[in-house]
Amino acid sequence: MNALLRQHRYAFFVTLRRLAAHPFSSLANIMVMAMALALPLLGGAILLSVQPVTKQVSVTPELTVFLNVEAPAQAAPAIAQRIESEHGQAVEDVRVIRRDEALAQLRNNPAWSDALAVLPGNPLPDAVVARMAAGDDLAARAAQLAAGMQTWEHVDRVQLDSDWVQRLEALLRFARIGLIFLGLCVAVVVLATVFNTVRMQALAQREEIAVARLVGATESFVRRPFLYLGAVSGALSGLAAIGVAALLLVPLNAALLGLAQSYGAEFALRLPPAFILVLAVLIAAALGAASARWSVTRNTRF
Amino acid sequence: MCQLSSDAMIQFQHVFKSYGRGRNILADINFDVAAGEFVFVSGPSGAGKSTLLKLIGGLELPSRGSVQVNGQRLEKMTARARPYLRRAVGVILQDTHLLFDRTAIANVTLPLTVTGHSHAQAQARARAALDKVGLAGREQANPIELSGGEQQRLAIARAIVNRPAILIVDEPTANLDHDTATRIMNVFRDFNQVGVTTLIASHDQALMAQYATRTLRIDEGRFSDVPGVELA
Repeated sequence: MNALLRQHRYAFFVTLRRLAAHPFSSLANIMVMAMALALPLLGGAILLSVQPVTKQVSVTPELTVFLNVEAPAQAAPAIAQRIESEHGQAVEDVRVIRRDEALAQLRNNPAWSDALAVLPGNPLPDAVVARMAAGDDLAARAAQLAAGMQTWEHVDRVQLDSDWVQRLEALLRFARIGLIFLGLCVAVVVLATVFNTVRMQALAQREEIAVARLVGATESFVRRPFLYLGAVSGALSGLAAIGVAALLLVPLNAALLGLAQSYGAEFALRLPPAFILVLAVLIAAALGAASARWSVTRNTRF
Repeated sequence: MCQLSSDAMIQFQHVFKSYGRGRNILADINFDVAAGEFVFVSGPSGAGKSTLLKLIGGLELPSRGSVQVNGQRLEKMTARARPYLRRAVGVILQDTHLLFDRTAIANVTLPLTVTGHSHAQAQARARAALDKVGLAGREQANPIELSGGEQQRLAIARAIVNRPAILIVDEPTANLDHDTATRIMNVFRDFNQVGVTTLIASHDQALMAQYATRTLRIDEGRFSDVPGVELA
């Protein structure tokens, strides 16, 4: 056991020695991989920062039926009842929002209270909100229902509240798939870079490998420093990528801050949580080791 | 054909060796070497001496026949097991294969690192090996700074540091002056006297006349004398 540990320690120090022997080329390789790895990290940062917005808002479509301001008081409950009786299976929940309740809610909001104070009466109509039941083809069914309600008596306008959230969700789904493809492309970049680095190292260490085999080194002993080289390069690239992504987020957030403030909101891009960053470094190290293993097996057959 | 001893340290039975579809480098080789023997393998250049030694060292595999070294059948060994055989066989090739990017002592400690010895143990044994071959005090020298004879002795130190049961040596005195050659041959004889089975490939007749207790003559891949016969 001690012998095995000593061999691992030897392999690790050989790796560090080889990296240090060519500092500029080692650094260049690591930076190439780091830049490539920083892209999915940045993409992940954007996705993870935007996702809470869609989580806070229900993505299940809600239909809001606005009545005419002149509609009688009993029109709203009648419409709610009609929705339940005619489309009971399509909707999960129906509720009536009285114009007085809506006005009271708005008055509680300081942004609106001053404006409402100068109005002579209540400009708001009664409304009926119907939450759609989950199921297939939700968006299409909601749109069809909304079109039907639009023709009902006393109905002024039917609004599909979650349209924009649906679009954002679809956009994020697209971005998520894009990010997966980007991740795969970056994995190929890491694999190719480590493969080539190890190939060059193996050719440079040809004599040492031959001598090690001559004196009884196992293939594991021969390969081990190269596996460490791949893993260490991958891990260092992962760490450097986190640094690069964090640096790039600074100007991006500065630009975003102005945009968010113009909407009266606070929004900032953040790096993914620590466990995802650790996982990213570990994946980069594993990719490096796997590529090194492949390369050293192919390039030390002499 | 000679009777082969079953407790031989090295045993070849009907061994053929060829590369691809080329001619046989070795053809129907049969011989055995007992533990502690000092044997010369002689013959002209290209006769197959080096190939014979590489087979003993597990650096090549026979195309046909059986090679037994230190109790293990080479042709039946897995690729994973062969390195362990090499640890029991000290190999000194004509080209010394020294590593010029490290010191003399680092060259000698390599076999000990391979077998997982501690740094302190490896240093102590490497110093002892260097001392044994007359290179004490040259531990920190780069092999490039050493003379041809010293490089040869450094290669010997590396081959013996793991205390092998068998030592195989290919043309150890080629390009060396007589005094250096004698000093190196004396090193081999010293090892042999403590029980290390030693095979030396050489075509230096004077050297064989001086040291040989047994010589296997090989020509065009075949033994030209009956194997196992004492020639000197």
